[in-house]
Amino acid sequence: MSTPNSMRVGPFCASVLVKKKYLILYIFLIWISLLPAILEIWWYWQMLWVDERPLHFYIFLPLFLFVIYVSTVFAAIFFTKILLLIISIFHKPREGTFLRDPGDKDYRYWSLRNTIKKWPTWLAHKFPFPFLDNICFKAFGVKTKLSNSLFEGWVDTEFIEFGKNVVIGQGAIIQSSVIIGNFLIIRKTVIEENVRVGAHVIIMPGTHIGKNCILNTWSSTMVGQELKEGWIYNGSPAKEFKKNRFFEDIPIEKLTKTIGDMDGLLKKYDETRVARVTKKRKSLKRKDKEENTTEEKGLK
Amino acid sequence: MNEKIENEKKDTENEDDDSDFIIDFTTSSAINRISLKFLVVYIPIFWFSGLAVATFWYGYTISTVPWIIKLLFLPLILLGFSFLFIFTCFFFSKLLLIFINLIHLPKEGIFRTEKGDTDFEFWRLRTEIKKITLWLLRNWPLPWIDVIAFRWFGIKMDFSSHLNDAWCDAEFISFGKNVTVGQGAVIMSSMVVGNYLIIKKIRFDDYALIGGQSTIAPGTHFGEDTVLGAVSVTTLNQKLEAGWIYSGIPARKLKPNKYAEMRRDIIQKVDVDGEEKVETEHEVNIDDDKKHLVKRGNGGDNK
Repeated sequence: MSTPNSMRVGPFCASVLVKKKYLILYIFLIWISLLPAILEIWWYWQMLWVDERPLHFYIFLPLFLFVIYVSTVFAAIFFTKILLLIISIFHKPREGTFLRDPGDKDYRYWSLRNTIKKWPTWLAHKFPFPFLDNICFKAFGVKTKLSNSLFEGWVDTEFIEFGKNVVIGQGAIIQSSVIIGNFLIIRKTVIEENVRVGAHVIIMPGTHIGKNCILNTWSSTMVGQELKEGWIYNGSPAKEFKKNRFFEDIPIEKLTKTIGDMDGLLKKYDETRVARVTKKRKSLKRKDKEENTTEEKGLK
Repeated sequence: MNEKIENEKKDTENEDDDSDFIIDFTTSSAINRISLKFLVVYIPIFWFSGLAVATFWYGYTISTVPWIIKLLFLPLILLGFSFLFIFTCFFFSKLLLIFINLIHLPKEGIFRTEKGDTDFEFWRLRTEIKKITLWLLRNWPLPWIDVIAFRWFGIKMDFSSHLNDAWCDAEFISFGKNVTVGQGAVIMSSMVVGNYLIIKKIRFDDYALIGGQSTIAPGTHFGEDTVLGAVSVTTLNQKLEAGWIYSGIPARKLKPNKYAEMRRDIIQKVDVDGEEKVETEHEVNIDDDKKHLVKRGNGGDNK
């Protein structure tokens, strides 16, 4: 799957800026996380730049740039984590319904946390390398496994719990915080094992999705909705559609009904393969064949 | 006991009922189970294509052109370098793909999503290899070029159709001419349902139009001049008839596509008598029961 260039998908941090002075922290983070990279460049230059033979320098440069990028992401995550810890001393992040007003401490700190987290998540996502996002999620307190794929949609970076083998579809939105009118609602979203969220699905805060669930495309859940284990859901708000039996051992004949002419397809592939193989053999043994045919003609 | 027997009976009835196994819903085709094995693929591609850029950069630094001219052409050269990097990435990933396809031919069909299944493993490998180049090309300042990448990776399409603002799988899709894909649409020729991976070819005929944010499931066949409205979903193996407008979840017929006919008539008229003045009013293709709304808007003469 290729992400469209005009879409800024990825780990989602709300861009609500309650106070403009939060931007100072944001810029501070950019500055401090680029420092290790600069140190590395200096070290690399000292090590390998020899005027007479700069060959080593150029050969290892691409690999070095790769390492620099990844280490910058790690540095950004490290400093962000420290900042987040300091902030959580002043005010611990908590669930609940809060007033959407600069006077509300929870609302202010929610905005501050998101502003801080924006830089490392942006940096991690702007690299064609799918593992960095997962490291970001883990560092910011989202419970997830490294094998999960969460980077084709918008996923919030706090108060979310994922099980094993979860896949988030293209353009899906997984939220743990939402603004409705005058209120900010923050509630923990839990998605358990083997859940497959379809494309463009919207999951509201507080949703609990049981094991082995499938969500059809364009379905959406309500705040605090509980989805039962082992069902396929559809519609908005999501309703039970039918039982998910695709984790059982189904005889393939039953599934092929939906995909159409399966035997024909397999036959087609076999034929193309056979044609390719025979073509090669023909080109190798053409001379012998010609001789054979002439012999046969002679015999006749 | 009786209840148990009844329950068992119900269960057996359910098992016999095939409607449970019909896939009349659409999920996603994002890869599941990312493994660190792919690092082995990524690092050589990065390194080799970086080497190509580094050699050119070396040539640039040692050339004896006056420094002011060097500085003048630096932006152009940087653009060239980025393109060179992408192109060599492209080249090496294509090379890898050819090798992989020699080992195992890409196939349509239903496969199991287990570690032993070769079709599933190779599908993951293919998508991961393609991802890096497509990502680079789509983030480049000249994004129209991603059509070339899609073509090289095995999608049949030309420059008249575009899918720049959509998620799109890079295999088993064929485009006709002048196909338009809306913003945020998802085109997937592969889909994972439970334990099963389904791969089926998608076909778009000429002048097909896909609305924004719509999802297209594997095996869909778009006829000529078919329109799929925004926020609609096709199901597995759906055939959309030529010259109809579809919309909804799942997509259903809305009305025949008369806009396409009108468009061609106008084009023909302009071509034939370009110098003659057209005295008749343009017939706007609005339903008969809604024409009075337009007239009222013009000043209410018919009142």
